[in-house]
Amino acid sequence: MSDIFSWLRFDFMKLAFAAVLLITPLFGLMGTMIVSRKMAFFSDALGHSALTGIAVGVVFGVGDTNLSMVVFAVLFALLLNKISSKNAESVDTVISVFSSFSIALGLAILSRGGNFSKYSSLLVGDILSITPKELLYLGILLIVTLGFWCVCSNDLQAVSIHRALAKSKGIPVSLMEYLFAVLSALVVMLSIKWIGILIINALLILPAAASRNLSENLREYHFFALVFSVFSGVLGLIISYFANVATGPAIVIIAAIIYFATYLYGRCAGT
Amino acid sequence: MKHKYLFVVVLLLGLSLAGVGFVKSFGVGTADGMGQKGAEQLLIVTSFYPVYIACLNIAGDCPGVAVENLSEPQTGCLHDYQLTPEDMMKLSKADVFVVNGGGMEAFLTDTAKEYPDLTILNAGEAIFSEDDEANSQEHSHTHGENAHVWMSIPHYMEQVVSIGQGLAEADPAHREHYQAKTAEYLEKIEQLHQDAKNRLADAQGKKIVLFHEAFAFFAEDYGMEIAGELDLDEERQISAQETARLLEVIQEEEVGILLAESMYGKDMGDTIEKETDCKVYYLDTLVRGEEDAESWMKGMEENIRILEKAISSEEAL
Repeated sequence: MSDIFSWLRFDFMKLAFAAVLLITPLFGLMGTMIVSRKMAFFSDALGHSALTGIAVGVVFGVGDTNLSMVVFAVLFALLLNKISSKNAESVDTVISVFSSFSIALGLAILSRGGNFSKYSSLLVGDILSITPKELLYLGILLIVTLGFWCVCSNDLQAVSIHRALAKSKGIPVSLMEYLFAVLSALVVMLSIKWIGILIINALLILPAAASRNLSENLREYHFFALVFSVFSGVLGLIISYFANVATGPAIVIIAAIIYFATYLYGRCAGT
Repeated sequence: MKHKYLFVVVLLLGLSLAGVGFVKSFGVGTADGMGQKGAEQLLIVTSFYPVYIACLNIAGDCPGVAVENLSEPQTGCLHDYQLTPEDMMKLSKADVFVVNGGGMEAFLTDTAKEYPDLTILNAGEAIFSEDDEANSQEHSHTHGENAHVWMSIPHYMEQVVSIGQGLAEADPAHREHYQAKTAEYLEKIEQLHQDAKNRLADAQGKKIVLFHEAFAFFAEDYGMEIAGELDLDEERQISAQETARLLEVIQEEEVGILLAESMYGKDMGDTIEKETDCKVYYLDTLVRGEEDAESWMKGMEENIRILEKAISSEEAL
């Protein structure tokens, strides 16, 4: 067993391990809310907007493109939220239009002069290069998300089940939706460098979706999502270390296996 | 759904065991293998292939010294390279880290700073310090200066010299070995250099078009004139305008020779051959290959042979 944990000798692995322990609960919590609000496509579009945010930063000569990325994503999330609350029938089409437009814009700007390769690490992500300062940001975000979850999770659930009924109960529906959109934008943007655009959504959705296969009430739903998320994060990190593959994909593969297993179990045991 | 907690526990345990089994069968071996570095052994880690070959020649057969390349030999240019855990392990164990310099490894500098005991040996220091340092950091080699210095025989010799000196300073115990090997390798390259100068004497003033920045050194070393350049690299998207402009240049200036790299330049090369009378020659950028100390020499010889052919067939027209 001792050689299984031999990787903790290295500082970069300790940092990556800490990052996984911060990111996975964060994603587990956000994931449950995103899945029950049927916003999987929304968070995917958010992830793609990271490229555009960076491109905007480059165009305006912002020194720290992380900043422009976060600001752009928050604005983008607010815009998407506004639009999807207006035309309820074709939300997925609208989100798709905005998502593809934003990624095309980002690619066009970033590929000018053939420099896209500089940004391609964003596509796959690199959790091994995380620094203590960035861990701190993630930690703060985790605390904020926990706070939001404690205070608003029930109200948000009510809104996703029946918007009009929730409104009549005195829940500030639009405020809740806007807050949630902003929070999703922050979570996605702060972790996109470590997880990567291509798979960040899988990490948000899979644990919650797997948990939905099993759970019968909200408490179980959140509990299983957290367990699955943290478990796949830790196991994925360890496997990626020994098998010498990128960490993000390894985590997603584990999460996907859990999803399939729970899906089969849910079908067999449920009927 | 009564047993779902049991099911979850069994599922997660099963996955953990499968993971452990997977790791045992596949990975632990390599991780341990690298852990077996003896206390007295010196580990030299190189950032990528051309530097690795240079170090192999200088320190490869020295007892008590191991030379390892960071990225795998097939990785090629370092633009979009991503560090794997194995690389991080190698770096954390290395005594000397040899880099090409010129911004090629800009992405590594932060990582390397995390290991204060690691001696970083910049093989291109002498070459790049001629330009000011403003270019050195952020600007990747697609911008500003050309970091593919190993493609120039004289520059490569400078790199070999600085690696030899740097290693002798970092590891005085093997100083004599390094100096002898450096001299030996330099002599071989010098021969190739003289040979190349003779064979490419006719290249003087020839107009060429490049599909890869790395080949600009051939023009510089043998007096060819670069009429146009399109840097076709990994993940480079070329706009229609650039292509059209290049075609115009080729036709107006009657350029007969185009140097490209087969991996990324083939499609574009075919287009150019179809549209113009220009002949496309595919050279090797010497960034991938076997773990063979001779591979730089062989690759360079082949490049010079192709160039010679290109020049003579153009003369014949």
